Amino acid sequence: MKRALVAASLFALALPNVAAAKGEFHPEEEFEQHPWVSIHLGALDLSITKAVAYLMLGSILTMIVGIVFMRARAGRSQALGEQIYEVAQTQVAEQGLPSKGINRWFPYVATLMLFIFVINLLGFVPLPLSDEKWHGVPTLGIYAATSSLSVTLSLALLTFVFTHYEGIKWNGPVRYFKSWIPEVPKIMLPLIVPLEILGQFMRLISLSVRLFANMLAGHMLILTFIGLMFVLESIYLAPFSLLFGTVFYLFEVVIVVGIQAFIFAALSAIYIGSAIEPEH
Amino acid sequence: MLSYLIAATAGNVDAGKAIALALGIGLGSLGAGIGIGNIFGSMIQAVARQPELRGELQGIQWLGFALTEAVVFYGLIGGLLAYVLI
Repeated sequence: MKRALVAASLFALALPNVAAAKGEFHPEEEFEQHPWVSIHLGALDLSITKAVAYLMLGSILTMIVGIVFMRARAGRSQALGEQIYEVAQTQVAEQGLPSKGINRWFPYVATLMLFIFVINLLGFVPLPLSDEKWHGVPTLGIYAATSSLSVTLSLALLTFVFTHYEGIKWNGPVRYFKSWIPEVPKIMLPLIVPLEILGQFMRLISLSVRLFANMLAGHMLILTFIGLMFVLESIYLAPFSLLFGTVFYLFEVVIVVGIQAFIFAALSAIYIGSAIEPEH
Repeated sequence: MLSYLIAATAGNVDAGKAIALALGIGLGSLGAGIGIGNIFGSMIQAVARQPELRGELQGIQWLGFALTEAVVFYGLIGGLLAYVLI
């Protein structure tokens, strides 16, 4: 009950951002990237945008979480740290990674899980980091760095590169690429081999799009339900809008945020594990 | 019903687009809904038969849930692409 109250009041703080649009409602503007500090290196655009700011904040918070919970000596924070560690070890790493690769890749998958969890969760905390201004002060808004495809694609690329690097390192290039080809009659090979190669790249797409679309859809749902009363310009819709907005907000925070972080890390572990031990 | 829709939207391209996109994502979520129902149904059965396996099964359950749920979002991305491209 206490937690629900806190969430509801946090949610109310996010309202002024949407209230700025009267009659017209453009939820997609929340996801546009405007460069705050422009940095260009030749053709490379390294400008600091909303997503970059959220990522920086997320990295700092992840480090703080790691230091506070994992280095804690006693009490509740130690118990919580141990719980996080146990999930990362038993549910993520040991499910996918073979025992010879676990020492090397446990830190990676555990970091991935914690980092994605923190940036996902940060996406549901109203922060004064939006592009809209109210009397010169940025309004409070909710935005997740993971609802930008570039962020999730670069995370998925990390896993993709590590997968093939490990596969080649442990098995040698010939044995590794041979392991992609399943045992089928020779006549089927021209059909199967392109599909298997395509499948390796489909992993990249499914890994990145899953996280990206989940977060995007979550934010869109909340925005749309709140926006409904501004689109239809009726105050009587407020109870309905707020109720459903809050329900979806709670659903996202309690279930989706954690599951997506877990899934991303678990699938990374499975992919890397299956490359280290192809017959596994 | 369909002919009524066609008659109502004749000459109105935006309404037609909206209906097409909404129908697309609606039908897309149909399959995923069945899939998610299946996963949780099987989980309930499994835990009812072997309650001591709950912990182990939970990880697999959430993995399956997320993999199935993601299918809707591929549909959503397709819809968004169609919306942007028209």
